[in-house]
Amino acid sequence: MNVEIFVTDKAGLQKFYEAIIARNETWAPVEKFGKFDFKRVSSLGECDPDSPIATTRSAKPLFFPRSAKIMKYTADSTGTRVKETDEDPFTAKRVILGMKHCDARSLQVLDKVYNWDYIDNDYQKRRQNTVVISTRCDKAETHCFCTSLDYDVENLDAMDVLIVNGTEGKVHITARTEKGDAFLKENLDPASCILHPVSDEELKKQYQAFAASFRLKMNYKEINEKLSKIFDSPEFEDVSANCISCNTCAFVCPTCHCFKISDERVKDTGVRYKSYDSCNNGYFTLMAGGHNPRPVKYRRWRQRALHKFVYYKERFGENLCVGCGKCAVSCPVNISIFEVVNQVASNEVV
Amino acid sequence: MEAVANNQLVSIEKPEIVAPPNWEPVIIGILCNWCSYAGSDLTGTSRIQYPPNIRIIRVPCSSRVDPWFLIKSLQTTADGVLVSGCHPGDCHYISGNYYARRRFLVTKKLLNFVGFHEDRIQFSWVSAAEGPKFAKVVAKVTEDIKKLGPLHLYKKENFEK
Amino acid sequence: MDYTKQIQEIASKLFAEGKIDVFVGYRLTGFDENQVPVLIRDQKDVSQLVFNDRSVFNLVNYLKYEHTRNKRVGLVVKGCDSRSLNLLLTESQVKRDKLYVVGIACEGVVDEQGNKMQNCMECVFPDAIVADEMLGTPHEVRKYKVNADIDELASKGLVDRRVYFEEVFENCIRCNACRHSCPLCYCAKCCIDQETATLYNGANTTSGAFHALMTWSLHLAGRCVDCRNCEKACPSHLPLHLLHKWNERVIYENFQEHLAGVHEGDRGAFYKYSMQDPDDFIM
Repeated sequence: MNVEIFVTDKAGLQKFYEAIIARNETWAPVEKFGKFDFKRVSSLGECDPDSPIATTRSAKPLFFPRSAKIMKYTADSTGTRVKETDEDPFTAKRVILGMKHCDARSLQVLDKVYNWDYIDNDYQKRRQNTVVISTRCDKAETHCFCTSLDYDVENLDAMDVLIVNGTEGKVHITARTEKGDAFLKENLDPASCILHPVSDEELKKQYQAFAASFRLKMNYKEINEKLSKIFDSPEFEDVSANCISCNTCAFVCPTCHCFKISDERVKDTGVRYKSYDSCNNGYFTLMAGGHNPRPVKYRRWRQRALHKFVYYKERFGENLCVGCGKCAVSCPVNISIFEVVNQVASNEVV
Repeated sequence: MEAVANNQLVSIEKPEIVAPPNWEPVIIGILCNWCSYAGSDLTGTSRIQYPPNIRIIRVPCSSRVDPWFLIKSLQTTADGVLVSGCHPGDCHYISGNYYARRRFLVTKKLLNFVGFHEDRIQFSWVSAAEGPKFAKVVAKVTEDIKKLGPLHLYKKENFEK
Repeated sequence: MDYTKQIQEIASKLFAEGKIDVFVGYRLTGFDENQVPVLIRDQKDVSQLVFNDRSVFNLVNYLKYEHTRNKRVGLVVKGCDSRSLNLLLTESQVKRDKLYVVGIACEGVVDEQGNKMQNCMECVFPDAIVADEMLGTPHEVRKYKVNADIDELASKGLVDRRVYFEEVFENCIRCNACRHSCPLCYCAKCCIDQETATLYNGANTTSGAFHALMTWSLHLAGRCVDCRNCEKACPSHLPLHLLHKWNERVIYENFQEHLAGVHEGDRGAFYKYSMQDPDDFIM
């Protein structure tokens, strides 16, 4: 794929956004109760696609809705009838603005599990119909560690279109996939941009400044290797002692994909829902007979940490963590998964 | 506003929802076994007429009524709820209705605070001898709720009227 | 307000005398001014403990987990925390003789931006009510103040309130962090977590969120001590205090100025009654 870099300025970028919003179903970060979240927008004034603050919750709900109807049913004296629901709010063609790198990357990670033994058609449809437009961060936040993980942040192709802020108010727009290329041809007004092959240097410089701003750095290979050997580490008991099992981390996490099935029934008819669930929840593993293999906090935390850094890696070759730090930002008691895995790994059992 | 001009009945909480023609409200009546249920029985045996909009559920005592009975009713079929129990001092379980009274007040105020009209949830004390009073209470509640229009707040998604 | 040194001394003395197994306090996150609750099990870790105006989280919440159950626990409580502890004692959830409580005469804590928390400005009982040992100078008796947000919202029209709260319930993602972070929610299986819900509503929808939050706030009516753990825990930043403060106000105004957990042996407002309770709303 030939890489064309369009260079424009802030005003050109605003025009670009306006054109997108006018022509497509657009989702972008909107401020609500002091935090950003992806919402459907109809004008640029409502949203802030270039917001330096990441959304509190990830873009996961747009691909894996927090509560999806799986089927409707009727159960009465004449028997039980099942009707599949065809209404899916997220399968229309749409564009997501202002997604961060980590969020975009999480979709690549999730693709693996959704294309595994069972192909989730709804998820596929949502992915295919979505154009992801990503703005590269200028500065890392307190809990970010995306550059320390097993993906190349600089050359990431998870997003379709990448926007990078250059020096002197210049803005670089690049297509990263063929879908993005076609999208740019359709929506970017060539009159407002110049093709500037030299700006590649500037992109590199911007990336270097960004990469230098990280507080947290880790060696994921070492973590993967060490964690795979320490299933019985007593350290898990210590790191999980102040967790309150509140599930916030899993609900805001861009890659957590566990769900529960619940029925909502009124009289003879009901709807079956697939909603988020969390392995930190005390009764996540509770079985019908009453047995609970993970009744205590440290076992649940172990599951969470090892699933992110060991089990998923063994099965799919990638970490389930993208280093976005959303869990640490939202945690009511400020526990960071970065600290937890590092602390556990540093106290290796011999 | 347009709907009001045409003399159409709209939901008081959501003016964009217009009542269908000949709309009749559904009211869930939760009655205590010892007084109000017997009172409603007396209304029937005395051949006193009252509006058929009420659907009666019998509970052992008014303090058996958990606030979520009301919430669940309002989330499904009901446009309004009536809870009725023994007069203070008459409770079969001595003090059940005193506890219930506190809970009712807080529930009513809280639902009103989040946007339900306060007449959607009503309470009454009806004894076993007050057949005519029960008919009057049901008539008043029905009339009140007819003025408010259909309720369409936080209804369960598979709910179809 | 900085009692770091005193708390470290108390904790290390308790460990030395063998009076406690666990000490629940705060430590610094290590990279900013915010703090993390910490459960200390050894005298050598006592130096981690800190206490200042960023010690926000209500530590009474930790009394319901396996790390403290059936153990002798040392605990730091502020005014609001001690009220919730008082309720737990009254409801027989913890044993007083297994606790060593370090009470703080609290001057108010600050949020992540460094502004004084709203509940601290309206605090009625800043001094710890249950304590084996008090730190700081006790405050004078304060009067109950009606929350400003509540006043503003209550004066609005019905439709405006409905619109406002519809947004709140739409943004709830039902992670149940509010319930898990609440010190007074100690049920082994919560009623709003029933997945096979013909009674309760298990789905993660707006109607489910409405049902869950209403049920939850009514279970806490007359018991909520306004520590704002729920609001801090909420990943959607929902103004959950509105529901609780509204209930608190209704209960205060109607039920003989009841405030949760301020007297020893005083149960929630719904566990008692009075002949003077208002009756005028009942036909």
